[in-house]
Amino acid sequence: MTPRTRAALVGGVTVAVLIAAWEAAVRMGDLPPFVLPAPSHVAATAVGSAPLLGPHVLTTATEAVLGLALGATVGWLLAVLTATIPTTGQVAQPVVLLSQTIPTVVLAPLMILWAGFGLTSKVVLVALTVFFPVLIASSAAIRDVDAEHADMVAGLGGTRRHQLWIVRLPASVPGALAGLRIAATYAVGAAVVSEYLAGASGIGVFIQRSRKAYAVDQIFVGIALIAILTAVLVLAIVALRRALTPWQPAHARL
Amino acid sequence: MLAVRDLTVAFPPARGKGDATVALDRLTLEVSRGEFVAVLGPSGCGKSTLLRAWGGLLVERARVSGEIAVPRASDGTRATAWMPQRDGLLPWRRALSNAMVGAIAAGVPRERALPRARALLVEFGLGGFEDAWPHELSGGMRQRLALLRTCLTERPVLLLDEPFGALDPVTRRRMNAWLASVGLVSQDGERAVALVTHDVDEAITLADRIVVMSGRPGRIVHEVQAHGESRYDREALLASLDA
Ligand SMILES: Nc1ncnc2c1ncn2[C@@H]1O[C@H](COP(=O)(O)OP(=O)(O)OP(=O)(O)O)[C@@H](O)[C@H]1O
Ligand SMILES: [Mg+2]
Repeated sequence: MTPRTRAALVGGVTVAVLIAAWEAAVRMGDLPPFVLPAPSHVAATAVGSAPLLGPHVLTTATEAVLGLALGATVGWLLAVLTATIPTTGQVAQPVVLLSQTIPTVVLAPLMILWAGFGLTSKVVLVALTVFFPVLIASSAAIRDVDAEHADMVAGLGGTRRHQLWIVRLPASVPGALAGLRIAATYAVGAAVVSEYLAGASGIGVFIQRSRKAYAVDQIFVGIALIAILTAVLVLAIVALRRALTPWQPAHARL
Repeated sequence: MLAVRDLTVAFPPARGKGDATVALDRLTLEVSRGEFVAVLGPSGCGKSTLLRAWGGLLVERARVSGEIAVPRASDGTRATAWMPQRDGLLPWRRALSNAMVGAIAAGVPRERALPRARALLVEFGLGGFEDAWPHELSGGMRQRLALLRTCLTERPVLLLDEPFGALDPVTRRRMNAWLASVGLVSQDGERAVALVTHDVDEAITLADRIVVMSGRPGRIVHEVQAHGESRYDREALLASLDA
């Protein structure tokens, strides 16, 4: 058995045991389903409401993916720009830090006022939470590699533009992807929270409606969907990393 | 063609107080057309600093006085190509592509550089490794690739900083024999090589002239021209290094 299959097996067994324990606790404790529904009950609800769920999942997934793409692009460009023209870093830094001191939930009403109830405000909110880890990780990656390799290019006759294209841009890619991998774990969460505040569709809207109807089983379906969607996003980013950084050994890419 | 006159380089202390580190102290040295000069000296005597001065790579905070003369191409760019002490290979480029960085940085057209790169890979003993990642190459292969990258600039003056410094003595001897056989300067008089090292035998194998530097701050304490079958008096060189 390879260490990887072993790890997957241990993880799978752990989750299975937890779910079994939950099921057993609900049945033996005789808890009413509007307090804590059994996993089997949640699964049945999920199957029953599947046709209804499709559009909600699609909305949230769209917000999360577009937000990730926007946030990652802005964070990465800002990192490259800062490394190329240090003054832009000095200008951007206070704004960036300020944006991180204000929680997204607090900014959400403003965004909704400015950009409306639709897709735009949610994409911007996800992007706001995403760009920071990407910026930090890209900047660190550029700094780590810079001096030695930039000197190499200059010593061979290269200009500053060569240094940017040959060294800084490629050096930032693994960092940006590492930041994206972290950001992906809370992109769906950020999208759902912004849907709590306003919106006509999305997992957040589904959960709010379920809460108003005291449908605890449906809330659990929503939670499970968030977890699954997040896992899919993270796996997609890991695959993207494998494709974009083929020189890195596999263990460095998780 | 390549020279320094009364070159003094000092590095101010990194954090405020203390004395500046004087790496080079009024150093005067000239490398002529067609010449292969080896600069020999103990670790920390300023050898890398000298090559960086010629390559235009001294850090901004270094205090520099004296004259640095570097041959220029017709467009005013430096006619030098520098090979760093550590190979400086880019982990995200395959071997051939890493070599091509020399051509790209120096503005050599791709159509001309690519066939030459392929041919030199074979000549440098890297045939069949065009598509290898740097981390898949041995230390000696990496340094040969870095040297190949330097050659692809087509610049006439090579500044080599311990090209085989990171190798074990046996491999280094083999590399030196090989580098001598490649003949970096012999074919045409327009070229020149300045190589720095702390290995006496590397200097003996390769150089037309050996310059020995003192410990920091570096000054020239001894200078010999190769002559005759035995080329150099190894014992005398070792003695001058110890002095
Ligand atoms: N960027 C720098 N900042 C501060 N001090 C430096 C810098 N570069 C070199 N020095 C100092 O200058 C002196 C000479 O360094 P240099 O790298 O030229 O030595 P070297 O002869 O190449 O040594 P080695 O054989 O170990 O490579 C050293 O004392 C070093 O600490
Ligand atoms: Mg050195």
